[in-house]
Amino acid sequence: MPTTPRSFAGEALTHAARTARLELNAERAGLVGPTAEAIYALIDRLDEVPLGETPPATAFDARWEA
Amino acid sequence: MEPYELSLSAAAAEIAARRLSPVELTESVLDRIAATEPALGAFACVTADQARKAAAQAEQEIAAGRYLGPLHGIPLGVKDLYDTAGVPATSSSKVRADHVPGTDAVAVERLLAAGMVMVGKTHTHEFAYGAITPTTRNPWDTGRIPGGSSGGSGAAVAAGTCMVGLGSDTAGSIRIPSSLCGTVGLKPTYGRASRRGVASLSWSLDHVGPLTRNVRDCALVLNAIAGFDRLDPATVDVPVPDYTTALGEGIAGLRVGVPTNYFFDHVHEDVAAAVRTALGVLEGLGAELREVAIPYADQILAAEWGILLPEASAYHQEMLRSSGDLYTDDVRLFLEVGELVLATDYIKALRVRTLMQQAWAAMFDEIDVLVTPGMPFAAPEVGTTEVSWPDGITEDVTTALVRLTSPANLTGLPTLALPAGFDAAGLPLGMQVTGRPFDEATVLRVGTAYEGAVDTVGRIAPVV
Repeated sequence: MPTTPRSFAGEALTHAARTARLELNAERAGLVGPTAEAIYALIDRLDEVPLGETPPATAFDARWEA
Repeated sequence: MEPYELSLSAAAAEIAARRLSPVELTESVLDRIAATEPALGAFACVTADQARKAAAQAEQEIAAGRYLGPLHGIPLGVKDLYDTAGVPATSSSKVRADHVPGTDAVAVERLLAAGMVMVGKTHTHEFAYGAITPTTRNPWDTGRIPGGSSGGSGAAVAAGTCMVGLGSDTAGSIRIPSSLCGTVGLKPTYGRASRRGVASLSWSLDHVGPLTRNVRDCALVLNAIAGFDRLDPATVDVPVPDYTTALGEGIAGLRVGVPTNYFFDHVHEDVAAAVRTALGVLEGLGAELREVAIPYADQILAAEWGILLPEASAYHQEMLRSSGDLYTDDVRLFLEVGELVLATDYIKALRVRTLMQQAWAAMFDEIDVLVTPGMPFAAPEVGTTEVSWPDGITEDVTTALVRLTSPANLTGLPTLALPAGFDAAGLPLGMQVTGRPFDEATVLRVGTAYEGAVDTVGRIAPVV
């Protein structure tokens, strides 16, 4: 994976919010952008783990009966 | 001693022997609430009339020979995240200010069926999305936070304004207030107790459980709330033992894991010393201490936030758009940021979680339980936003509060929080005991052995 930090500055945040159909005024954008970058800096530590064929820790019970 | 000072077990013994009536006990608790609430703010609402009615009914049932067991007539505080029939369930949020459910959450339903007396709804950090609970103060020092998100239940149990507080735990929200308020708190195994009727923060990390004055009380509550519920897809259909049966069997020969990394990093020296002393107590009781390395330590918070943020934003997606201005600032910000986490990153976090679960299972080949600090420090002062460590690292307080508790949410393992001691200022210092999946019995047995050997568990906070 590229190690480039994710950017949520300016137009990048505008596009991301638009994709999420989330309206952010200038005041909200000023808070959300830096926080998103900080959160992604943390989440990107997951890149250090080789995942291979590892499935996600999700499953469901297909039975219908109560 | 006033009745409100009794633990669940002690009050139950008095009630069973007809030396204490549920009415007398409930009145004592309601008086205590009236005396402490102006300073504490633990309750979102107090259901005094309903409590008096339920207590009178319990008294009549017991007098008629229909004693239901140790929960009968015992005052209960219910986190405001839980549905309660005919009683507001606001999640301590303006967004849900008018929400009055028609039915009880499963855990509430089971406890009321066992005869418990609900005295009120306890405050949560808004929608359980935070570890502070800003509405509420710590009963050991009202200039400090109780922790969260089940801060109201932690403060109430510690102050004597209920014997049992229900909590929920997504990143530590039962164990954080337990540690900071000096109560016992149990996050059961993921899937051990139904979350139906409890507002979700993060479906794949949410747990429900009790906060109590001692370990036996936790076992008694778990007996009532544990079990399969087809309508909570997380619950697992495995037998529910009587969790009180093995409490007194001791811990001779039990292998206690002591982490060599992560859990003692960036921990205040008072906490580290208290937990190391507690480990010595366990060793003195016959346990064998074994050092273990915590796997994937660098990925713990990454996986926790990578899962929690998008799941929470999915739950709140409509409400954020229709009522965004009604959320508190910190919760709104988390919800907005969670909207921007990519699905591929979320799934990556879930895949790392799989590896983490496998690695913890391997770690438990060598141990029966893991004992760790519960919190990095004692309760912070109200308004604290950051903590600084001797190596120059600065950490925001929410990250610090969830750092030691998140592993048990990611792995789903049962974990008990209990007081390891008190610092020089008289503030509680917490520790955790983590066990194998669905082995709450061993975790509770360790807790029982420890509390029997020390005097740190079961104290009532003075509310100062």
